Amino acid sequence: MTRIACLLVPDLLVAAELRAHPELRGEPLAIISGPDPRAEVVGVSGEAARAGVRPLCSVAQARSLCARLHVRVASPSLEGAARSALRDVALSASPRIEEAPRVSGLHAGEAAVFLDATGIDRLFGSEAGFAGALLGRAERLGLPAVIALADSRNVSLVAARSLALPGSGGVEIVPPGGDARFLAPLPLDLLAPDADLAGALGRLGVRRLGELARLPSAALATRLGPAALELRASARGEAREPPLAPVPDGLLEEASDLEFPVESLEPLAFVLRGILSRLLERLEVRGLACGDLFLSLALLGGGSDDRRLGLAAPTLELRTVLRLVLLCVEERPPPAPVERIAVRLEGRAPRRDQLDLFRPAGPAPARLERLLAELEVLCGRGRVGAPRVLDDWRPHVFEMVPFAPRSGSPSAEAHRSAPARSNGPTPAPGDRERTSLAVRALRPPLPAQVQASHGQPERVRSALANGRVVRAAGPWRTSGGWWCPERRFAFDHFDVETEDGLVVRLRLDRIAGRWEIDAFYD
Amino acid sequence: MPPVPGPARAAPVRVDALLRDLGARLRRASAPEEPLARSPTGLHEVDRALGGGFPRGGLGEIAGPAGSGRTSLALALLATATRAGECAAVVDGSDAFDPPSAEAAGVALERLLWVRTPRGGAEAIRAALRSVERLLEARGFALVLLDLAEARGGAVPGSVWPRLVRAAAASRTSLVVLGARRLAGTFAAQSVELDPARPRFSETPALLEGLDGRLQLVRNRLGPAHRVAAFRLPSCAA
Repeated sequence: MTRIACLLVPDLLVAAELRAHPELRGEPLAIISGPDPRAEVVGVSGEAARAGVRPLCSVAQARSLCARLHVRVASPSLEGAARSALRDVALSASPRIEEAPRVSGLHAGEAAVFLDATGIDRLFGSEAGFAGALLGRAERLGLPAVIALADSRNVSLVAARSLALPGSGGVEIVPPGGDARFLAPLPLDLLAPDADLAGALGRLGVRRLGELARLPSAALATRLGPAALELRASARGEAREPPLAPVPDGLLEEASDLEFPVESLEPLAFVLRGILSRLLERLEVRGLACGDLFLSLALLGGGSDDRRLGLAAPTLELRTVLRLVLLCVEERPPPAPVERIAVRLEGRAPRRDQLDLFRPAGPAPARLERLLAELEVLCGRGRVGAPRVLDDWRPHVFEMVPFAPRSGSPSAEAHRSAPARSNGPTPAPGDRERTSLAVRALRPPLPAQVQASHGQPERVRSALANGRVVRAAGPWRTSGGWWCPERRFAFDHFDVETEDGLVVRLRLDRIAGRWEIDAFYD
Repeated sequence: MPPVPGPARAAPVRVDALLRDLGARLRRASAPEEPLARSPTGLHEVDRALGGGFPRGGLGEIAGPAGSGRTSLALALLATATRAGECAAVVDGSDAFDPPSAEAAGVALERLLWVRTPRGGAEAIRAALRSVERLLEARGFALVLLDLAEARGGAVPGSVWPRLVRAAAASRTSLVVLGARRLAGTFAAQSVELDPARPRFSETPALLEGLDGRLQLVRNRLGPAHRVAAFRLPSCAA
């Protein structure tokens, strides 16, 4: 039998505000519809409600009832993020979820999400265990939620709404097949009927779901129309519902509208810390880690500054991600004051690392990725990595590849020369022969004035080496790329010792007809 | 008839035999690694002068003029570390690192992290020093080579060295600074100064055979100083 769970936050606007501003917890709080002085209260915390503040009253009335009242304007960004967080809690248990449609009236402030809980007791031990675990996750994301399980979406939603009534707990489990019996004593309001229909039923004296369920369907349809018939089916737990489908995985987003435009890094860092911490909590609840990150800064006067930060290895470390974002902002500050910050994250499966028995432990993957990202910010993109020599006719060509020391298998050479445990990496007997003379590259090559006789350099003048050529070896001729004008090259290379004792690698570019020094022996 | 050993008795014997057989190749993740005291160059004379190599968890210096063989010595250090399976890093403040040359010297390039700092004097040095700090903080690198051969005297603030020395000690990394002159002063555990090397050419055909170098251990907090070592660097073509 299908089992559906409904996770419901009774007052989402208040929950969203408290989630972003935890310092307001325990304080009387009212959410108003806008910055207009005539704005109405649309959400009230428990403390404010106890002081007598009710939705739909004006700000002045609310303040007269509670002098300590904190008033905040409803933020669509925070509300959207809280809704997404609720979805994340549901997705942490099941891929088949669906958000409940928004309703008006008494239940306008609620947010609910359905999830397929069929067979979930085998995973969590029992349905009660599952419900408790899910509530724990919601609480971790700053969402005061209730949960109900039933055979259908509609009944689970009504059961969850019934938990918001005074004296109810946080969990309601309707036993399988017991939907109609459970619904019968509940008030009709829990089905959030249309106001006209509710009025008509009220005039008929129908106030409980059981009373509606007992009405004859034909007479009800004739007098009150098909909407009443649909409501009756819901009251009997017989509403037709399509099965829940798996939802595609998207980016996780959190945003914050700033109270005043911000220019300096410090207040940005403060807001970013909160946003990232909430996002990483959401990822952790879903068993994911942070992949790519998209930062969007809405600027004063229109326009936005959008950036993308690629994290090569998924991480859940707030310090790491925050540092990367701040380095990125520090490196290229936004061109105008920032009004709104939005961060979107891509969730990825966390990377596990297997240590090697035969190789020394290198840098930990998470630290290494953070390090590489930081170094790229410091030195520039493409300037950090492992060098790889290319098999190419052009002299001394190489490329930079991502540094991933653990990706390859340990070489036989590494095995052979594995160090004795207490003496460090002692070279193997054959290693000494491999040590050879190295060069220092000059990028770009240094121009040189060369006097040559019969193709042999005799005197060199440059910023590095000067004087008569004492000894020279060469030329070694290389050429290629003739089929492509941009890649065409033709060089005569010489190893030249000058009077000042330096041995330089001199070359004649036969296409440009100029001499240059591209390296020297050191 | 001799008693047949049961599984309970046979298992430890097999494990012991296996451990004996694997010997030094086996590294246990659970037990802390014993201290690796030195990062050798692989050049016998040089290592003898240094007392086995540059210290792990300390700062070493290679100073010498252009053409003295200082870069070859640094690549020899990198080659020894990377061939032993360790990770190493080059922070290239001069953008002078030559990968083909390093490969020819025996450096396992896949285990070498090359950090090319932005061009330009002061900015390059600042980025190089910050990069070294990050590398040491990250841990896991056996050797970090800081190439400041093009840096002028006074370009590196003196307050950097104690910080780098502390970070190197915490990460048990050999931090080796390559320069035209000594930069770290008394913060270096070992400093070597190289004399201008003598190039060797063959007569016919004329080929560069290599360099004959000479170094002096001018500072050694770990043993006697003022040792001299001669070394020979053959050319790849020779």
